[in-house]
Amino acid sequence: MAGEPMAVDYYIPLIIFMIVGAIVPIAAMAAIKIIAPLRPSRRKQSTYEGGLAPIRDAKIQYSVQYYLFAIVFVIFDVEVLFLYPWIYVYANKAMQQFMVFGFMNYAVFEMLLFIVVLLVGLIYAVKKEALRWV
Amino acid sequence: MDGIIETISSFAASEPAIYYLIIGIIGAAVLAAVINLGAMYIVWLEVKLLGDFSARYGPNRVGGRWGLLQIIADAIKLFTKEDTIPKKADKPVYVWAVLVACIAVMLVAAAIPFGALYINGTNYPLVVANMDISAFYVEAALSLMAIGTFMAGYGSNNKYSLLGAFRGIARMISYEVPMGVCVISVAVMAHSLNLAEIAQNQSLWYAFAQPIGFAVFLVALITDLGRIPFDQSEAEEELICGYNTEYGGIRWGLLYFQEYNVMLLGSVILALLFLGGWNGPIIPLPILSTISPLIWMFMKVVIILWFLIWTRSALLRLRIDQVTDMGWKVLLPLSIVNLAWAVAVGSYFA
Repeated sequence: MAGEPMAVDYYIPLIIFMIVGAIVPIAAMAAIKIIAPLRPSRRKQSTYEGGLAPIRDAKIQYSVQYYLFAIVFVIFDVEVLFLYPWIYVYANKAMQQFMVFGFMNYAVFEMLLFIVVLLVGLIYAVKKEALRWV
Repeated sequence: MDGIIETISSFAASEPAIYYLIIGIIGAAVLAAVINLGAMYIVWLEVKLLGDFSARYGPNRVGGRWGLLQIIADAIKLFTKEDTIPKKADKPVYVWAVLVACIAVMLVAAAIPFGALYINGTNYPLVVANMDISAFYVEAALSLMAIGTFMAGYGSNNKYSLLGAFRGIARMISYEVPMGVCVISVAVMAHSLNLAEIAQNQSLWYAFAQPIGFAVFLVALITDLGRIPFDQSEAEEELICGYNTEYGGIRWGLLYFQEYNVMLLGSVILALLFLGGWNGPIIPLPILSTISPLIWMFMKVVIILWFLIWTRSALLRLRIDQVTDMGWKVLLPLSIVNLAWAVAVGSYFA
């Protein structure tokens, strides 16, 4: 082979897949404009709420506990994001020569510290009941 | 055969942009057909198996004794239903939700190797975008699905839908982290983030090499697919139909259908990451030897699908607080234990 393809080229098919993924629902929605009957009425277009008339709007203010969930998630998702590039460092042959305490791979040691700190954070979040569903 | 492969690979090397454009168009056309047809027959398989599990017949009228055309009759019905959009719904969000879900499924499909062809002693993986980080990419694209369901729930302006959407997001974020750590544990053992390479390098199935990781990933995958015991975002008895309460006709059909598409893709990902992918004995017959990796892959995927349907009929739905608790307090520590295990013994499998 003459040369490796550039990384960007792998992403060209994704654009086509996005277009095809969008065509299917758009075509279906265009088709129902033609095929499906259309006899709208006020009752049909009302929001479903157990058969009664809906009481007030559904856009409520949700419990603040829910957003704590989201914040904890962001922290741990960033942890996972850091782990992905770490794999390349870990799998690198040259990197495996560096040892800590004579037996532990340097990359492993670094990630161990990182995860221990985050686990302490997880225990703190659990003890503070940030992860309790309300 | 050798000549064809040589020509293709030299063309790919000289004109990569055009090569990937052509691959993309062919792949999109083939995969859109294969996935949608596959998902249709997963719906059929599910209805049929649920019938068997509860000692009923299931579909047995349309399309012969096995009810093979039932799903097509259902699709025709959905297309001829009246298209009702609730007056109070946030119309752009309501309509675009379906589009986002469909696009997310196609984006996942682009990077998954669905099998391989065995030609002259080499496996050629059948994948459209064979990127180096496909395991990471697939996981990221899979969570786009959650945005589609959240849009559907939020845009409907219905209290049941909104609760379903909030539950769906909480459930997704509780299981995304353990799932990601399990993918990383696999990558640590395989020394690669490319799904095709991960599948190819599995001499011993990672389900046996890291059993904890397999268990955690399986639970997280069922949660991501939103199936019983983790279907709190739809929970018929509590939330009517959850996020798709206000949807009807083909809009509902497409949204519902995407769940089965994701189920198919999720089964393929599980087979690739933990069950050895397409590795298996090559059948020593002229044409069968070429497609034998595909046959192994197909068998594994069908068994996983059967298992997913079986769990649905055998288990009960958990409460949402039990689900989030399990994600954070059980699965996340377990997945990190598994990562430590993978690092400790990973060098023996490399």
